[in-house]
Amino acid sequence: MASSFTSLNLNPYPSFRSESDGEINSTNNIKIKMNMNTPPTSSSRSGTRLKAMKFKGTQMREKKLTELIEQKVVEANQVCGEDETSDECKVAWDEVEEVSQAKADLRLKLEKLQQDPLESFCQENPETDECRIYED
Amino acid sequence: MAVCTVYTVQSLNYTSSMSTPTKTHLGFNQKHIFFYKKTSRKATEITCSSADDSKTVVIGLAADSGCGKSTFMRRLTSVFGGAAEPPKGGNPDSNTLISDMTTVICLDDYHSLDRTGRKVKGVTALDPRANDFDLMYEQVKALKNGVAVDKPIYNHVTGLLDPPELIKPPKILVIEGLHPMFDSRVRELLDFSIYLDISNEVKFAWKIQRDMAERGHSLESIKASIEARKPDFDAYIDPQKQYADAVIEVLPTQLIPDDNEGKVLRVKLIMKEGVKYFSPVYLFDEGSTISWIPCGRKLTCSYPGIKFAYSPDTYFDNEVSVLEMDGQFDRLDELIYIESHLSNISTKFYGEVTQQMLKHSDFPGSNNGTGLFQTIIGLKIRDLYEQIIARKPGASLEARKA
Repeated sequence: MASSFTSLNLNPYPSFRSESDGEINSTNNIKIKMNMNTPPTSSSRSGTRLKAMKFKGTQMREKKLTELIEQKVVEANQVCGEDETSDECKVAWDEVEEVSQAKADLRLKLEKLQQDPLESFCQENPETDECRIYED
Repeated sequence: MAVCTVYTVQSLNYTSSMSTPTKTHLGFNQKHIFFYKKTSRKATEITCSSADDSKTVVIGLAADSGCGKSTFMRRLTSVFGGAAEPPKGGNPDSNTLISDMTTVICLDDYHSLDRTGRKVKGVTALDPRANDFDLMYEQVKALKNGVAVDKPIYNHVTGLLDPPELIKPPKILVIEGLHPMFDSRVRELLDFSIYLDISNEVKFAWKIQRDMAERGHSLESIKASIEARKPDFDAYIDPQKQYADAVIEVLPTQLIPDDNEGKVLRVKLIMKEGVKYFSPVYLFDEGSTISWIPCGRKLTCSYPGIKFAYSPDTYFDNEVSVLEMDGQFDRLDELIYIESHLSNISTKFYGEVTQQMLKHSDFPGSNNGTGLFQTIIGLKIRDLYEQIIARKPGASLEARKA
């Protein structure tokens, strides 16, 4: 009995799942297929992210970071246009890196934890503005 | 080493000596030993904090990928059991992660300049001038000696320094960030240090994956950001790798000609020889040079396959052993097969590495050397921790007359 395994994916972002199914081949080796290291597609990414986002505070942070990224990239291009070797240029791109990483961290928390990062904070402080329930 | 403080206290006539553990407001156990003399009206109380209660093992991790949420940290804390979570009820933008055994601190919290301050001074976060190494040293030292600290919080969303949070000394303290090994005083405090060395091509590929979906970004902006940060990175961050006990170097694969997707990786685990409590992982015959392709008659691998190498080497004037894996696995039996041929991996049972990898099969790197070596380093750190704890002398007491 031929066993079928995950071949090298042509799509660099196969859908996000971990599965295992076992098949026994003729030499009685149990071969178990695993889908490992599959970063999510952007559609499944935003799907899982939206499901996990619960509080206004998290939505505000996500929005802010998205805006910051756009804004900082524009600034960096402006500043570096004047002098590419200046300290200001270095700092501008460093800021882009900082906010890009912060956004990625937030996205990761939402996807991996499947929980709003403000969950425990909002349990203690339900009356704050940040802890209003987010509605799309 | 036990630290004992002697108090003299009025008391009535008791004859027994007893020891009761009590929790202080600092949150760690102290053993109170009471000695009473039959006839005397005074008692001498000796309070000793025994070494294994208060001593913290400190691990340093140098990485350029943000803090605390990184995959390495999650694998490491998972080896010790329990999930690492941000401190409950505190600042929601805290970078700290706490689990039963470990606390992970993000070194960005020791920025002396916030985002505006850095802009004014014209320094990046990579620059030592943006960081308070004195505070870093004092606080890591305090935690190592069992004393809680009020650590600042650097808020990555606002770019400001927020009010501090209380950090209690954990069993294992991990300091993660850009500069764990930059300051020599902090370096001395580390029981083990790791440097995550991502090559430029792989870094570019990873950042594309990270940022391309973002509205503001393009291939050009991603490239420009990496290049602008490179001089500071090379000057201040990269040199730390010579001090690391273990370096995980991530390179593009050699198995696929002209591969530039950064999907298949060649990962090297460079382990320093002669490090206390750390015995490098090896393949087949320690100290020899091995080239190993496990795929063949016993093991069928899918394209592009797997290739291992092991050899002694020199790295920045240090004797090292290098274990290298190129390629990826996508089946459980490949992983078990490989695990069964590695030595000195400090597992507690056969298949532990595989089990850990499976537990986090959704983490990036779970099918290649990054996940494999991060998991193995996690087990080596557990082994190091247990050896350090076992070596601690018990509290020694001195009775003094009242």
